[in-house]
Amino acid sequence: MGRIEKPFRRIFDRARPYFETGGRMERLKPFFEATETFFLYPAIPVKNKPFIRDSLDLKRYMSIVLAALMPPFLFGIYNTGYHARNASGLSTDFLSVFGEGLVIVLPIVIVSYGVGLFWEGLFAVIRRHPVSEGFLVTGLLFPLTLPPTVPLWQVAAGITFGVVIGKEVFGGTGRNLFNPALTARAFIFFAYPVQMSGERVWIAVRETAGNAVDAVSGATPLAVAALAEPKARIEAVFADSGYTFQTLFFGNHIGSIGETSAFCMLIGALILLATGIASYRIMAGGVIGVLATGLLFNFFAAPDLPAWFSINPLYHLVTGGFAFGIVYMATDPVTAPGTDTSKWIYGFLIGGVAVLIRVVNPAFPEGVMLAILFMNIFSPLMEYTETRLRIRRRIPNV
Amino acid sequence: MVELVSLFLNSVFAGNILLAYFLGMCSFVAISKNLNTAIGLGFAVVFVLTVTTPVNWLIFHYLLAPGALAWAGIGDVNLSFLRLIVFISVIAAMVQALEMLIDRFSASLYAGLGIFLPLIAVNCAILGGSLFMVEREYTFIESVVFGFGAGVGWMLAIVAMAAARIKMRYADLPYGLDGFAITMIVTGLMAMGFMLFSGISL
Repeated sequence: MGRIEKPFRRIFDRARPYFETGGRMERLKPFFEATETFFLYPAIPVKNKPFIRDSLDLKRYMSIVLAALMPPFLFGIYNTGYHARNASGLSTDFLSVFGEGLVIVLPIVIVSYGVGLFWEGLFAVIRRHPVSEGFLVTGLLFPLTLPPTVPLWQVAAGITFGVVIGKEVFGGTGRNLFNPALTARAFIFFAYPVQMSGERVWIAVRETAGNAVDAVSGATPLAVAALAEPKARIEAVFADSGYTFQTLFFGNHIGSIGETSAFCMLIGALILLATGIASYRIMAGGVIGVLATGLLFNFFAAPDLPAWFSINPLYHLVTGGFAFGIVYMATDPVTAPGTDTSKWIYGFLIGGVAVLIRVVNPAFPEGVMLAILFMNIFSPLMEYTETRLRIRRRIPNV
Repeated sequence: MVELVSLFLNSVFAGNILLAYFLGMCSFVAISKNLNTAIGLGFAVVFVLTVTTPVNWLIFHYLLAPGALAWAGIGDVNLSFLRLIVFISVIAAMVQALEMLIDRFSASLYAGLGIFLPLIAVNCAILGGSLFMVEREYTFIESVVFGFGAGVGWMLAIVAMAAARIKMRYADLPYGLDGFAITMIVTGLMAMGFMLFSGISL
């Protein structure tokens, strides 16, 4: 026990009796535990088999995911601020841009965390389960998928749906079937389509110099692509609108707060893969799925079909929310299948379906979010089937 | 040919008879408790839908529709008000035949399906298939493809749900949500996932 740790340990040990069974604040035990594990390393011995000696617990697991989320989060703040100031004709030096971004993004994140924590805490107190760190990831993933102009009450409505219906009705972290952040995102996407898509939601302008307008319109790469003439080469159309491959890769363009930069996702992916938190099978499967489906559509490309058909498949990887979805959401260990072959198939189908929706479904500009939700539906089935097949293949004990 | 493939995919995914139209919920909720029984009932529904939709097409277009009896010389008769009752009788007869077949060839499936096999006769998905066929003015071939596709879509949904319920055995459900309630919630979330395909036209 370190010297710094000791006084903290003493404070918690003194308070503990109040929260134990029979104590005065027994019902608030989940909050006590949450605060304690925030400051001190949990030393709770597990009661059930299997006993594996490893300090990788849910807390460290989720902390690494949070660390991996920092690059897109910080870049998202900068990017949002940059486009807000740029559109209103203000100076775009780094500090003021970052400050502007903070003013726009932080309220969204705070509402997401605050409202989410309220529901998580309510269920924890009433149902007597611990407050889980998984919520910290959900509460940050969700705002990063939103457009910067989203009204705060919609953030609250979305995270409420995601936490309560997506997770808590199943009994909390680890028991849900659908990714809570995606459930929340899909819910507000269908409930409030006006604020979630279109040309006017991507740039959050607070103050304007000179010509004052409330909302500035701007087309995201996906919107540009969807509007492209059937005969056009999308690469050229992108370049005309200022979206070169490089811009798309580094992500300095308008879009959802945290989803624009494939480069930041790459950093996040490396963190997750190096620490073994996320499954490389799902990510690799997803990338292969996108490239394969993209190539397949290239074969069918014809002058009278949408321009998306003929695009270089590599562009699919860097546009829209694909990189974000496959790195942070598809690899969610709870809702992805747990068996190895299924992970490849799961990732591959997410990539494939996402490209399919982009190319042939005119109703949605982007399909990654729903593709992952769709595959969440079948993940228990894939897991079950693979387990059964393995059991059948096993040589019986003679 | 392309139109038929498109119709098939449409009836499996975008227009999934269970997750987009919420038909056939009762047996879906009740039978999805067990994966093997769910697969069995899924096949039964595929079979019954594939057979009854075209048979009802023939009956509707040669007996019931306005002017359908022209071949018998009474072209001005319109019997389409008999549609519901005739469709139901055809479905009931088909289900009876299927029940005898299952009883003969798979005793375990027969026992597993229990009361729900005769209840296919009043499964709204089956009748819905026939009514959609009339409403959307399918041709005969289309009605076969549509019936098959609707059945496959229903089966896909119930099998996915049965597997999800196996996983949910480890869930810690709030009191009162166990069983039907959580199944309805999951069905709603599944329907949200299936909205992915709405809007696709090949």
